[in-house]
Amino acid sequence: MARLIRTEKEVEGRYTEQWIVVEEDALERWPEGPLAVVGREAPRTDGLARARGEAVYTADISFPGLLHTAVLRSPHARARVKRLELGAALEAPGVRGAVQPGDVECLTREPGYPGAPVAAIAADSAGLARAALERIEVEWEVLNPLLDPDEAVRRGELTTERRPYARGDLEHGLAEADIVVEAEYRTQTVLHNSMETHQAVCRWQGDTLEVYTSTQFIWGVRNAVAEQLGLPPDRVRVVCEYMGGGFGAKNDPGDYTFLAAELARRTGRPVRCALTRREENLDSGNRNATIQRLRAGARADGTLTALGGEFVASIGASGWLASTAGPMQMLYACENVETLEYGAKLNTAPMAAFRAPGFVEGTFGLECLLDELAAKLDLDPLELRRINYAHADLLDDRAFSSKNLAECYRRAEPHWARREEVRARSAGPWRHGVGLASQIWYGGGGPPSYAWIRVGSDGRATVVTAMQDIGTGSRTAMAQIAAEELGLPLDRVDVVLGDSARGPYASISAGSSTIPSMGPAVRSAAADAGRQILEIAAQRYHLEERVLSLRDGRIVSTDGGSWPLEEVTGLLEEGQILGKGARGPNPAGMRVLTFGVQVAEVAVDVETGEVRVDRIAAIHDVGRVINPLGASSQVEGGIIQGLGHTLSEERLLDPATGGVLTQTLDAYRVPTIADVPEIVTELLDLPDAHLTNLGAKGLGEPPIIPTAAAIANAIRDATGADVRSLPITREEMLRALRQAADRAAARESVGASSA
Amino acid sequence: MSAGRFVELRDVVPRGIAGSATITSIGAGTTLAELEVDPQIPQVLREACAAAASPQLRAMGTIGGNLLQATRCWYWRLGYPCFLHGGDRCHARTGQQREHAIFGNERCASAHPSDPAAALLALGAILRTDRRELPLADLYRLPTEDDRDLTTLSTGELILELEVPAPRASVYLKAMDRRKWAFPLVGVGAARFVDGVRLGLSGVAPIPWALGGPEELDRATPLPGTAYKVEIARALVRRAVDAV
Ligand SMILES: Cc1cc2nc3c(=O)[nH]c(=O)nc-3n(C[C@H](O)[C@H](O)[C@H](O)COP(=O)(O)OP(=O)(O)OC[C@H]3O[C@@H](n4cnc5c(N)ncnc54)[C@H](O)[C@@H]3O)c2cc1C
Ligand code: SF4
Repeated sequence: MARLIRTEKEVEGRYTEQWIVVEEDALERWPEGPLAVVGREAPRTDGLARARGEAVYTADISFPGLLHTAVLRSPHARARVKRLELGAALEAPGVRGAVQPGDVECLTREPGYPGAPVAAIAADSAGLARAALERIEVEWEVLNPLLDPDEAVRRGELTTERRPYARGDLEHGLAEADIVVEAEYRTQTVLHNSMETHQAVCRWQGDTLEVYTSTQFIWGVRNAVAEQLGLPPDRVRVVCEYMGGGFGAKNDPGDYTFLAAELARRTGRPVRCALTRREENLDSGNRNATIQRLRAGARADGTLTALGGEFVASIGASGWLASTAGPMQMLYACENVETLEYGAKLNTAPMAAFRAPGFVEGTFGLECLLDELAAKLDLDPLELRRINYAHADLLDDRAFSSKNLAECYRRAEPHWARREEVRARSAGPWRHGVGLASQIWYGGGGPPSYAWIRVGSDGRATVVTAMQDIGTGSRTAMAQIAAEELGLPLDRVDVVLGDSARGPYASISAGSSTIPSMGPAVRSAAADAGRQILEIAAQRYHLEERVLSLRDGRIVSTDGGSWPLEEVTGLLEEGQILGKGARGPNPAGMRVLTFGVQVAEVAVDVETGEVRVDRIAAIHDVGRVINPLGASSQVEGGIIQGLGHTLSEERLLDPATGGVLTQTLDAYRVPTIADVPEIVTELLDLPDAHLTNLGAKGLGEPPIIPTAAAIANAIRDATGADVRSLPITREEMLRALRQAADRAAARESVGASSA
Repeated sequence: MSAGRFVELRDVVPRGIAGSATITSIGAGTTLAELEVDPQIPQVLREACAAAASPQLRAMGTIGGNLLQATRCWYWRLGYPCFLHGGDRCHARTGQQREHAIFGNERCASAHPSDPAAALLALGAILRTDRRELPLADLYRLPTEDDRDLTTLSTGELILELEVPAPRASVYLKAMDRRKWAFPLVGVGAARFVDGVRLGLSGVAPIPWALGGPEELDRATPLPGTAYKVEIARALVRRAVDAV
């Protein structure tokens, strides 16, 4: 029976309450460990199509008469448009239409960051559109930009209310402490730089708007576009079959979709609006920079008595305040915690979610602070973390649906035990060391999410749902889940996704939620079809349903009978067996989180500041693992992206004008394959007994969270230097080494004079 | 990219390597990929080529073009009206400057990006153009108030060939922001000849920089944001000298 309930929904750590209707989800839990298909390595079902170039990305979509857009963007961080004349541009060759402020909501006469869209032109080719841009007459009044986040906080220029949090009494906790450490950490602005830039193709078909777009949320785009254009939602069809990366920056329709839609309406032609690489680096979102002023106090035995922090996030012209304080509030069992978060409003491009927004930055600060504390306490960093293990959620005293971080720590021991051996490799200017950091994050997903399935007379199954595979391998994982439930080999299951007109509502692919949201819906749809198959088989073979089950593409009975599935479904000829399924509710009153620990081995050339990461062991607890191969790819991808965040990536601004200086991939340095260390992935694969019919959580974000801190802590282990600012460039490394040397010299002179 | 006119040089500029025991001549149209694997090429130049750019770029890029590549200075690339573009000030001197120069940076603080140029400087290579012969060092000049050019090539002048004397030993060391496919923060080429070791540096001045010896690093004029490069240069110069 359908039940109406009120439930919490969480995406990227942001909770909302909502009403949902849930079906009974009374499926029996699968046993722990690898099953027939689920829990076993499966190469991507669409791997060949991608490798052969057959997979159709938004960038590949083309229609007869397609127009291309070029966008006039503000070259200034803060300015006013005094005069804007599109006349000459409209006369330019190949130009079919143009929009300016007033025509589309995102276009502005008062740009508040470099790259803010002001006008757009649609023409027969991208080259003609760009050439026409040159003919727009525009006069700017350039205004002074605000670029310093601390200054913004002083002036009260905030994007959101400041966010205080407190439990216990911080000052009391600090007074109780035997050791107090205090440090300021900084993280930089990094850019997603997805291989496929942000883009959309819009085409009107009668009164329906088709939106082909590179997105992480088909249904979110549908609803947002419908709302802004005043259309009934079903008059907007959103298609995204294959996608070249999003990492959180493609959760919303984006300006490009609205520009393409309006230009398509005006010209009566399909219109593409695709960001160039430079535009991608200007205006497609970013992981905002943070300043973290942190304090920690502990008793001599390592018990944390106080954790406090002031966090300033450089949000940009607009955006939301991701929880940089989250790890400090949630990771350890500390009674006295106070945090205060500010979101500085600046004349820089708006932030966007970026793979575990807030927690990546906050974990760097907190987990480095913990190691600085461990050094002062003369305690093993792993031991310090065990001493302060949180057994229940401390934000509001909830039980964890499952938490196996202790097991992660236990599995980390052999990697941690390599310390002596690794340090002993130090030779010449190279110093080797090992560091670790813990991970906490969300990843439980939630309803609503639906799937349909059809089983044909050929005994093949097709899963139909309007979800998206953002490159994480969800297509394959969904096929595995359906195959497992139907007792089919993987190659007898297809998955149709990526089109809001061809399937039911599906979850956003953000907040590590695709598997935990969609997986249970797919399983329940498959179970629905499976039940019907057994009902039919029972009648056909004159047996009771309870003695029958589906296995290896066959219907088997407990008395030894066994029939190919097609024998039963084949009876139906053109008939199909249809199943439907929905994601059930999250466990009431429980906190669903993911956990993990990473152990990094690094080498530092203390003369040139070169940092080489040799090995990272990643041990994560994300519930049941559907596809260990896909999962290890996610871990590797997260760590490599984390490596860029830690060592080489930074969006640089001209301090005078706020102009973005790193607009291309030669200046903005993502890691290359040569930078990638040995990565050892260990997933506990312990199903969460309270979460859905799968017990599976998400894995997209967890692996990037502890990487920076693990590397920084390994650097401290190797060299004694405290790196507190990302990225750890040569100059930051050399600065930290110099500071450590000065400190050692000062200690020595004190020692000498007191001797 | 946009340009009024493209001229294909492939058929006018020689390509290929010819050598004797004491000297190797290199056609200016020879690619970095060809140079990095040819045993006739001194180690320092092979290593500099191999450390440059990516395999794809090295398969296309010629040594002549590499010597003449423009600065990576972000202000210059983005068209800021800076000194090198004919303007009245250097934006990097008061702006983002971590990739910039520690020598010769008074007017323009850009850092020369060519690895092979530093190697060829250490080797004391001679250039032959369609008009003259000159030591590689004379190909470059620091910009002045009246002339903002970084090379001494006249309009239409083509580099045809390079002559590279064989050193007794040589090496190229490079510090960069990641392990492959990055321009040099500091590159050091060192070559030992009968009369001593010659050093050529990349990434430290607006032009490839000949360093008389390690002690000359004491006379560097780093910007606040480039002081770290002096430290790196010290280590790499010492290592390079030790290695040859
Ligand atoms: C992303 C990226 C990374 C790179 N990284 C590095 C690096 O780490 N280290 C490094 O050293 N280089 C690096 N490079 C530079 C690369 O090696 C050069 O672009 C390449 O060598 C240029 O060769 P080309 O033949 O394409 O010259 P072109 O680009 O065609 O020419 C460059 C200039 O020289 C002129 N020219 C070319 N040949 C002659 C000639 N024979 N006579 C007179 N004028 C001539 C051209 O007119 C032009 O002005 C990088 C380049 C890129 C794009
Ligand atoms: S370093 Fe040279 S190229 Fe760069 S801004 Fe200064 S003058 Fe211009």
